[in-house]
Amino acid sequence: MTTAAEFVGVTQRFGDFTAVDDIDLAIPTGQLTTLLGPSGCGKTTSLRMLAGYTQPTAGRIMIAGTDATRMPPEKRGLGMVFQSYALFPHMSVAENVGYGLKLRKVPTAERTRRVAEALDLVGLGHLAASRPKKLSGGQQQRVALARAIAITPTLLLLDEPLSNLDARLRVQMRAEIRRIQAETGLTVVLVTHDQDEALEMSDRMVLMRAGKIMQEGAPVDVFSAPANRFVAEFLGYENFLTAADSSLLTVRPEHLALGSAPAAGGLHLDGVVADVAYRGVDRLVTVETVDAQGTTVRLVADVRDDEVTARPGERVTVSASDSRLIRLAA
Amino acid sequence: MKTSRPVAASLAVAGYIVMIVPILFVVATAFTGGRSLRFPPEGFSLRWFEAAFAYSPFVSALVSSLELALLATLLALAIGVPVTLAIHRGRLPGKGIVEGLFLSPLIVPELVVGLALYQQLIIGLRLDNFPVLLIGHTVLMLPYAVRVTGASLALADPSVEEAARGLGASPIRAFFSVTLPLLRPGIFSAGLLSFVTSFNNVPLSLLLQSREFRTLPVTMLDYVQQSYDPMVAATSTIILAGTVVVAVIAERTVGFARIFGGINR
Repeated sequence: MTTAAEFVGVTQRFGDFTAVDDIDLAIPTGQLTTLLGPSGCGKTTSLRMLAGYTQPTAGRIMIAGTDATRMPPEKRGLGMVFQSYALFPHMSVAENVGYGLKLRKVPTAERTRRVAEALDLVGLGHLAASRPKKLSGGQQQRVALARAIAITPTLLLLDEPLSNLDARLRVQMRAEIRRIQAETGLTVVLVTHDQDEALEMSDRMVLMRAGKIMQEGAPVDVFSAPANRFVAEFLGYENFLTAADSSLLTVRPEHLALGSAPAAGGLHLDGVVADVAYRGVDRLVTVETVDAQGTTVRLVADVRDDEVTARPGERVTVSASDSRLIRLAA
Repeated sequence: MKTSRPVAASLAVAGYIVMIVPILFVVATAFTGGRSLRFPPEGFSLRWFEAAFAYSPFVSALVSSLELALLATLLALAIGVPVTLAIHRGRLPGKGIVEGLFLSPLIVPELVVGLALYQQLIIGLRLDNFPVLLIGHTVLMLPYAVRVTGASLALADPSVEEAARGLGASPIRAFFSVTLPLLRPGIFSAGLLSFVTSFNNVPLSLLLQSREFRTLPVTMLDYVQQSYDPMVAATSTIILAGTVVVAVIAERTVGFARIFGGINR
């Protein structure tokens, strides 16, 4: 695995506020890496340091093996898509897309061809002559993408690219960006606060909190083995309980069973059904119980078996096999 | 007029009447055939327009006023636009103080500014009247240049400039190819306001004029004090016509919504 870019001991402070706190991170070539976390976690600041719009207080930023820490953005050759799209309103779509090529003094004929290619890639060839203002949000987003891709960047940086789109378009664009990434083979860094987006789109995801990296890895690895409670909660885990050895455990709702016969090992707790939410294909059954430390906890079980009965107020046993229990660092 | 706000609408109509009706009286009297500034006009003629164009103090004062307004506007923009950029985009310490300084001519009485310039520059440094007038008018217009371009800069998305940088533009290139075009309506409206302010100014011009260089409003004021004939009404009408032409051009090229939108939003 080669590295397209690297953060080496990077810190960014704004006054008293530490936005990014001594991170080390490698961006693998040809993959889509997601920086994921709640607002204020340092993901956007990290992206802006990579693009050169702010300079780290300490540490180094390496791009394609050279130290780019003090390099201005125009020398980095990266393509960036901004949350607001940041299209040039006084230029046509084609002029927007061709702007970077014009600066690189690409001859007119080649420029026209590459602009058309980039617009075709995002499916907007027919809108080349339009003004950005006339386009829908989704179309503007694609123009911004085409503009960034047209310069054949070493890295494509996407800052919350889907957050201004409506829900349906957002889901479509996830697949669209993946397709474009696959077709171009570009190294992509995407910033998002949406865990579904990160899980679906990433080759590699980096979870951040308060300027630090909490966990990184392939989505399946991070999701199946969250390192700590923060990561687990951020990815949607809701069942937390303390084991007999006082370690923190979590378990996914679909791995909890109701009223099954006790097997050796694993989790067995008696409790009372507090709530049942019927959702067609399944039911979410909330059981109030007491964990090994004597603390009252509510566990949610995702029940798909119609044979299993559970009504509010009934006594039930919740169980999970040992292999399904995830041990978390505090 | 259908409206859900009768009070506001009535006030607006009353405002228009107060502003426009006196002007209509002036325009009507300019076309009189008689000898005095009186309403209703006696007959119709263009004789006072002919007289105004033939009266050399007015003609030379008009040229002086246009010259002064144009130069002062260009100077105010040349100083004001970079200052605005520094205030809004630069890492300037004490931005508030700098902005306050450039807006202060709005509050300081013009007579005080005029008197200060007169004392220090004309008496003290023995400068010519014209450069001092130019300095005075430029100072007077700086608030418009800073405020109006500032308003359109504040509305512009800063990431547009960053996008240009990311695509390979140097800071200067990004400024000229992206920032400046986005500011064009703001700069245009600042220029328009400045030009009109300078052209109409009396207090500064009155204090700083010389025998050789007098502006049109001051010359007209002098004239009205001596004689009360419709030539002044005709001159006013000519100026009004010029203003309307400028306004129409502004509306056609940039649009009032975009020119003044920066202030209202």
